[in-house]
Amino acid sequence: MGVIIGPRVIDAGTSLLSVLISPVPVAAGYPSPAQDYFDGRIDLNAHLIKDITSTYVVRVSGDSMDGAGISDGDELIVNRALEPRDGCVVVAVLDGELTVKRLSLTATGVVLRAENPRYPDIRVPALSDLVIWGVVTRCLHHV
Amino acid sequence: MAGPGSIALVDVNCFYASAERAFDPALEGRPLVVLSNNDGCAVTRSPEAKALGIPIGEPWFKLAPRAKEWGLVARSSNYELYGDISARVMELLGRYSAWLEVYSIDEAFLGVKGTPEELQRQGIAMKTAVRRNIGVPVCVGIAGTKTLAKLANKWAKHNPAFDGVCHWDAVPAAQRERLMAGLSVIELWGVAARLTKRLNGQGIHSVLDLARADPVRIRDRFSVVLMRTVLELQGTPCIPLEEERIGRDQLIFSRSFAAPITTGTALRQVLSVYAQQASARLAKHGLQAKVLTAFAATSAYNPQGSVHPSVCVTLPMPTADPVLLARAAHALLPQIDDGVRYAKAGIMVTDLRPSGQQAPLAAFANPHEERGIGPLLEDISRRYGRGSIGLGHAGLRHGPDWTMKRGMMSPRYTTEWAELPVVKAM
Repeated sequence: MGVIIGPRVIDAGTSLLSVLISPVPVAAGYPSPAQDYFDGRIDLNAHLIKDITSTYVVRVSGDSMDGAGISDGDELIVNRALEPRDGCVVVAVLDGELTVKRLSLTATGVVLRAENPRYPDIRVPALSDLVIWGVVTRCLHHV
Repeated sequence: MAGPGSIALVDVNCFYASAERAFDPALEGRPLVVLSNNDGCAVTRSPEAKALGIPIGEPWFKLAPRAKEWGLVARSSNYELYGDISARVMELLGRYSAWLEVYSIDEAFLGVKGTPEELQRQGIAMKTAVRRNIGVPVCVGIAGTKTLAKLANKWAKHNPAFDGVCHWDAVPAAQRERLMAGLSVIELWGVAARLTKRLNGQGIHSVLDLARADPVRIRDRFSVVLMRTVLELQGTPCIPLEEERIGRDQLIFSRSFAAPITTGTALRQVLSVYAQQASARLAKHGLQAKVLTAFAATSAYNPQGSVHPSVCVTLPMPTADPVLLARAAHALLPQIDDGVRYAKAGIMVTDLRPSGQQAPLAAFANPHEERGIGPLLEDISRRYGRGSIGLGHAGLRHGPDWTMKRGMMSPRYTTEWAELPVVKAM
């Protein structure tokens, strides 16, 4: 492998020569045409997490959300800063446990739905009667 | 100075207990204690545990027999979790002010500005955001000085009428005086038990007594430090906000062992690990140490009588090099007798200074530092986990038996992929 050489910057003030290191190793004298376009690899944190201080990753146990594409053992990205809205998948506190459900805000009250016909809906009079732990933004499904 | 500023002190209520509850809602409303290293004694109590009359520092072996009857839950210290939650809280608070001083793992001073109404709103906004976004409750005290912000925070915590946010200037003067009159000086930031006794001897008992004292007399009879407290109580800021606390003049790495250490070989390992930790911490703060003290101690209840060997080594030059620090710490070993049961050991580095302040003479230049061994160890530990690499005696694949006992530890919910919080879908 040749020497790593990138664009050179000459600081006129001090006549110091500094060399920017290219992320792509190239043979001396033949700079890769791609290196000018390199802007860092895809960063999943940047794409999947909007606010790192408010975001937690949790693991699913059970099959009650199968219909939403959320399976046993999947990881969920949960943002606690988001406002829970009608139709969101949320993590709610039920009987002292973190539980994942689909939130449905209706005129007659709040319903926490499973996405599997084998599990019943849970009804509460108002959102204030519930502790919503966070809003699920992504499911990391194991295929 | 650009306009009159105020200072907010934000701190997490019962931090360790609250961090545990954030991921285990079943703990909500139950008496909960978090135990010190080696599950020794209660270092954090939930309000319910306080209501049971459990004193701070109560040994777990005294509490355990009654835990079931009380419904008391204990957790080992989960430093990974608390460290991450702390970092999240500080990062979030940093969004409310460019001027943030992290004062401890669970409290920070912030510079804030605005009318009394705006300050109250800012306080409520911070409290709400930390609670909702991160999941732990905080209280906010806002005042013109740090000492008063501490005091306001205390009231925000203990007086439900404030609902977690107390803006000192918004409290009517008569009520402030009543609150200060009812508070002993020992409750003040920076006033310890011994000083309290001396103050009481001068007829100064309550915070109000001290606030009304003559600062010059206090300086003459006590100290400049206490004079600053008096001035701050009177509303004159004397203790500035510091972005990064320098002047922290020592770092200590010390711990009681889960099982006593009885050989010099084992103690050598311990000292090497501490030296490596000290090196990493120094490097992180851009500091070097000139003096290292290594110490060990038997239990105070040792039937053969207790021993406290220690050695103080002046390093050949200020350094953060793990090899040099470990070698210096090993100077303790000749004092260590095999067969003696050591319950504790540690190292302390002092005389800290910014690295690179004084260029060493070429003859004393340190080859390890030049080869960057410290950063390399740190890098590998970061990538492959703590304990993945160590220097000589610290490099052990299996945790040696002197590592900390954490028998009741919750999962490391936010730092270990294998220990994520579980959400039920059933």
